Amino acid sequence: MPEALLALRGAALEAPGGGRVFQGLDWELKAGERWRLRAEPGSGASALLRLCAGVAQPAAGSVRLAGLAPDVDRRHPFVAAGGLGWAPTDGGLAMNLSFLENVALPLRFVRGLDREAAREEASRWLDLAGLGRLKGQRPPVPAERSCWLASLARAGAKGSRLWLVDRPAGELDPAAARAARNLLAEAARDPEAAFLVVGGDWMEGPVRELALVDGRLAFGSGA
Amino acid sequence: MESNEAARRVLALPVQAARGLGEGVRAVFAHVGSIAWLLQMCVKAMFRLDRETFALVREVTRAQIRFTALDALPLCTLAALLIGGITLLQVFGQLSTFGVETALCQVLAQLVIRELGPLLVGVVVISRSGTAIATEMASRQLSGEIDALHLSGVDPVQYLLLPRLLGGIISLFALIVYFDTVALLGGFAVAWLRLPLSLTAFLDALMRAVGPRELSATFFKALVFGTAIPLLCCSFGLRVRRSTTEIPQAVTRAAVGSLAILLLAGAFLSVLIYA
Repeated sequence: MPEALLALRGAALEAPGGGRVFQGLDWELKAGERWRLRAEPGSGASALLRLCAGVAQPAAGSVRLAGLAPDVDRRHPFVAAGGLGWAPTDGGLAMNLSFLENVALPLRFVRGLDREAAREEASRWLDLAGLGRLKGQRPPVPAERSCWLASLARAGAKGSRLWLVDRPAGELDPAAARAARNLLAEAARDPEAAFLVVGGDWMEGPVRELALVDGRLAFGSGA
Repeated sequence: MESNEAARRVLALPVQAARGLGEGVRAVFAHVGSIAWLLQMCVKAMFRLDRETFALVREVTRAQIRFTALDALPLCTLAALLIGGITLLQVFGQLSTFGVETALCQVLAQLVIRELGPLLVGVVVISRSGTAIATEMASRQLSGEIDALHLSGVDPVQYLLLPRLLGGIISLFALIVYFDTVALLGGFAVAWLRLPLSLTAFLDALMRAVGPRELSATFFKALVFGTAIPLLCCSFGLRVRRSTTEIPQAVTRAAVGSLAILLLAGAFLSVLIYA
């Protein structure tokens, strides 16, 4: 039985002002699995992704990412090797870098590509994300859906094994939604890649359903 | 009853003063501690560099040097010329009273190279680059950029801290040498207008005044200031957690903390080298 890439055991998260955002979460994500998380805005889906990535720490229970507790203040071998595809709502891009540089930068760290090779690979994934004409521009402030799409391109270019994808800022127009679907389909060609995607219908193929309701996870029928 | 209360208040004054002093000392040690912690992270990150990340760190460091040193040249030139000229005028006024004008060049060189150069370059770097570093780090921290960098596999210490540390040290050293040179030339220009002094005589006196101790003072002050200023400013910027209103507070604290470290470390090194 393959080891879970991501495992929550009785995980609880405390809100900054006190009180629990959710508690007692038990769930596993294994290599090759695709999950869609259904959650109302404000129900804690983004907080759950932050908990899974180690940006937030559990108040109780445990989170294991590739067997180790994730924590953004410490080096995590899986994260340092580029295994995690992180696509938050605002994209999490560096504002002083162009879209192209944002996608190319991690490639130099995790894949050891030189500047030109990294830019070439980043360019291919930005084209796939429908952002070809924005390559040389810096991300807009406040973040728009182009930032979210660029974060998908960044995750894809690295060859991420575990994708944590939040919903984009605002609605996607048909062209952007199509680009997101294409990009995720390209990433899903790796049979080992695992996905947790909040909302949307961007994943093709068999996707299992998960819902976050009143601070608890409910498992839908799914395919 | 009232007199007892007044007496208690008077007696409490020394305690409050001691507590204030203690808090100040504790704050200085906290600053030094945060610099040491970030420094050890940078040293560890340096050992983790491979060929490609080394090339990337070099690119970012070059950009830091351009901003910290190259873009600061006009301000440094102006400050150095004025400081050199004014210092010479003041020193000349004092020395001529005692009839020892011949020591003029020596005093000027020692004042500028030992104390004024490193100190004023430190102030320029804090006001231009230190505040910019603190603002940048605070904005990145607040927007979640640093977390996102980490999660996308980029080492934030290698990408953000290490180039600022290396850029700070190299820039401080280059700027101090440049400042000293321009200040001494400015001093010579003023001396040339007022005294029968040739460039050869000025340079001769300068060579006699500058020894290994002056060179080591320049080197060690550049090393200490270049390490402390960027790391302390990064540390204050990275502490911002909740709101944009914390950014100006962090920048002010970074500037004040850096100035305090600059003055204390400068004095400590001077005592160490010359006492």
